[in-house]
Amino acid sequence: MIEWVAPRRRPLPRQPITLLALAWLLLVVAVAALAPLLPVADPQAIDSLHALQPPGIAHVLGTDFLGRDILARLLWGGRWTLQMGGLALSLAIGIGLPLGLAAGSGGGRVDALLMRLVDAWLAFPPLLLAMAVVAILGTGLVSVAVAVGIAAVPPYARVARSIAREVRAQPYIEAAWSIGCSPWRIAVRHVFPNALPSLVAFTATQLGWLLLNGAALNFLGLGAPLGVPEWGSMLAEGRGYLRAAPWASGFPGLALTLTVLAANLVGDGLQEALG
Amino acid sequence: MRRFTILFALLVAIIPACAARPGDRLVYGLTLAPSGIDPHVNASSELGIPLTAVYDTLVYQDLSCNCFVAGLAERWEVSDDGLVYTFYLRQDIVFHDGIPFDAEAVRYNLERITSDDLASQKARFMLGPYDHAEVVDDYTIRIYLGEPFTPLLDALSQVYLGMASPAALAEWGEEYQLHQVGTGPYIFAEYVPGDHLLLRRNPDYAWGPEIYANETAQVEEIEFRFFVDPATRSPALETGEVQVMGEIPPQDASRLSESDDFAIVPAAVPGVSLMLFMNTARPPLDDVLVRQALLYGTDRQAIVTAIFADTSPVAYGPLAAATLGYEPAVQGMYPYNAERAADLLERAGWSDSDGDGIRDREGEPLVLDLYLMSWGYMPEIGQMAAAQWRAIGVDTVSQVVSYPEALSIASEGTHHLIPFTLSGSDPDILRKFFHSQALFNWSGVNDPEMDFWLEEAAQLGDRQQRVALYSRVQRQVMQQALVIPIRDYVNLNGISRRVQGLRFDAQGWFPQLIDVTLEDR
Repeated sequence: MIEWVAPRRRPLPRQPITLLALAWLLLVVAVAALAPLLPVADPQAIDSLHALQPPGIAHVLGTDFLGRDILARLLWGGRWTLQMGGLALSLAIGIGLPLGLAAGSGGGRVDALLMRLVDAWLAFPPLLLAMAVVAILGTGLVSVAVAVGIAAVPPYARVARSIAREVRAQPYIEAAWSIGCSPWRIAVRHVFPNALPSLVAFTATQLGWLLLNGAALNFLGLGAPLGVPEWGSMLAEGRGYLRAAPWASGFPGLALTLTVLAANLVGDGLQEALG
Repeated sequence: MRRFTILFALLVAIIPACAARPGDRLVYGLTLAPSGIDPHVNASSELGIPLTAVYDTLVYQDLSCNCFVAGLAERWEVSDDGLVYTFYLRQDIVFHDGIPFDAEAVRYNLERITSDDLASQKARFMLGPYDHAEVVDDYTIRIYLGEPFTPLLDALSQVYLGMASPAALAEWGEEYQLHQVGTGPYIFAEYVPGDHLLLRRNPDYAWGPEIYANETAQVEEIEFRFFVDPATRSPALETGEVQVMGEIPPQDASRLSESDDFAIVPAAVPGVSLMLFMNTARPPLDDVLVRQALLYGTDRQAIVTAIFADTSPVAYGPLAAATLGYEPAVQGMYPYNAERAADLLERAGWSDSDGDGIRDREGEPLVLDLYLMSWGYMPEIGQMAAAQWRAIGVDTVSQVVSYPEALSIASEGTHHLIPFTLSGSDPDILRKFFHSQALFNWSGVNDPEMDFWLEEAAQLGDRQQRVALYSRVQRQVMQQALVIPIRDYVNLNGISRRVQGLRFDAQGWFPQLIDVTLEDR
């Protein structure tokens, strides 16, 4: 006797906080994409006579220690951060998902082998692993994305595996087997669609971590070239001026916090809506 | 009643111990946790900040007369050919471990420093053409040189050539840096690498040089702690965690100096200014017109104002103004003039033919590789300079690299521009950078005339003649436009106003801790 208990679902329209978070993420993406078209100052224009100006009419969010407009740098900085995040996410999914699904569906020796590999991978703290990769590849957008993406593979593989195993044990899969469906058909028609909601939710949460790790690398000076606006490096540059000009690192910090928070909230919301 | 008597007696015994003056312990913030602090072995300036009080040197430099005065040696003679230095030592000196100081101790120290096994990073090189030392009698030592070397006394006045107890050196061997023993006003009490270093007053000290105001140290204990992150320095001072803090960031300095509780003690550091070396061996910087254009196109005053809040002087030549032999004539040489710069670039054949804002010649855009180290405000300076050069049509590709990377880039000569700065009180420091065979010849200069001046000046005994030669070198460096000087180094020391008498020696880096007192407040 098998009892089917439906999980409590809450559709997205009934989750105001998730919607708000989603709106913020979309806004950040839109602004980053449209940054060259927006009527803001040149983010790299140095004006040392107007350094460390507080937020005001001329500079809505103030200026940094070289007199560069914080708002412009924030908008342009999101561009770098999000491109990096997107690239890193694709990489993490591209490697982690097949790895996890193969382990989860294959089982037995394949599972044991792949999961020991992932365990070894997981033994390195993600940021340390990312720093090591940057040290090998050099700095820049692509290498930071690769570094952060590679460091994010193991959790992906782990989650994909457990979801695949969970779905594989469901009675409807057994039923599909027994009526003679091919393994391919089972994987595509039954396992994948049923695993998708959990994976989507996990992906949104993971995006937050990727952005944070990318910003951390930039904070350490291992990311964007000198002078190119990026949230993590803005945070680092403004840190020495916390007393004199809290806005210089406060606003990039706020933008980063809100974006990571929004990604996590969207992840949780999707889990509830789709799970 | 009897019990009370005992209690009372106990209290009487305890009270004096508790009544130690609050001025008895000073906490001093250092800005780097050096990987090694044996002054004979390691090279950092930070090690000298505490250890200058642990060791005495044979001679001292007196800033008031710009001359050398007696230290462990009460007098000395130099042979006419400049090859033999004879030092007559004081006879009343004992090391912290109770062993008397004598000529044999000096010989032992010099032998240690110059032995190949020690792999000295600085002290060995400061001795220049040192050949050997000879003990004449218990309190007379002779140093023999391979060739005349006038900067020797300057070297012997620095902590890197401080005299350590031979017994301690022999006992501890490679671990000596954790158990240092000198003859100075403070005793090396405890060192936990990366955490703290503790000095305790030497009550027997009575042989200080005349540049010290006090006979013995005034503060019972001085603890040194490390504050590597610049952003943590002024908060540590303002919360009372430390009473002295080196290298306060310029943006925090004005706030501290306006406050009633704190003050800034600026110490000008002699040596070579912070400057960008232009690689004359790599086109297009092989063209002196392009190099001069970059000098005219760099608004140094704006950089010093924006990044250093006008706390350090603008540099105009290779030597900092606080250095012996500084040539003031370099000051007028390259005033900021963007039009002049553009003009020079036009004359060199670089003009913007495709209208993209960057000059080009024969289809090649004018792009320079700029490498920067992450410390010393170099990334900030690089960004500002790059923006100024962009205005005259010169593009740059900037990259921040680690110190070892910078060293290999500069020695391979794959850079166009790379910054450096080094402290030192003798102008012989120029030889490290502008001699064709120099290790730090990052401008790729090969000027036989300048080589000759630099070699000659290191050997001449007469100060006037030396200064005249160094003056020529400085003018030549700037006429040939080998470097873009940015600023002279000034160490902004933040202190609590309870701290009195903090002064720095001729090197600019090292405090004379014996004269520091801590007032009650």
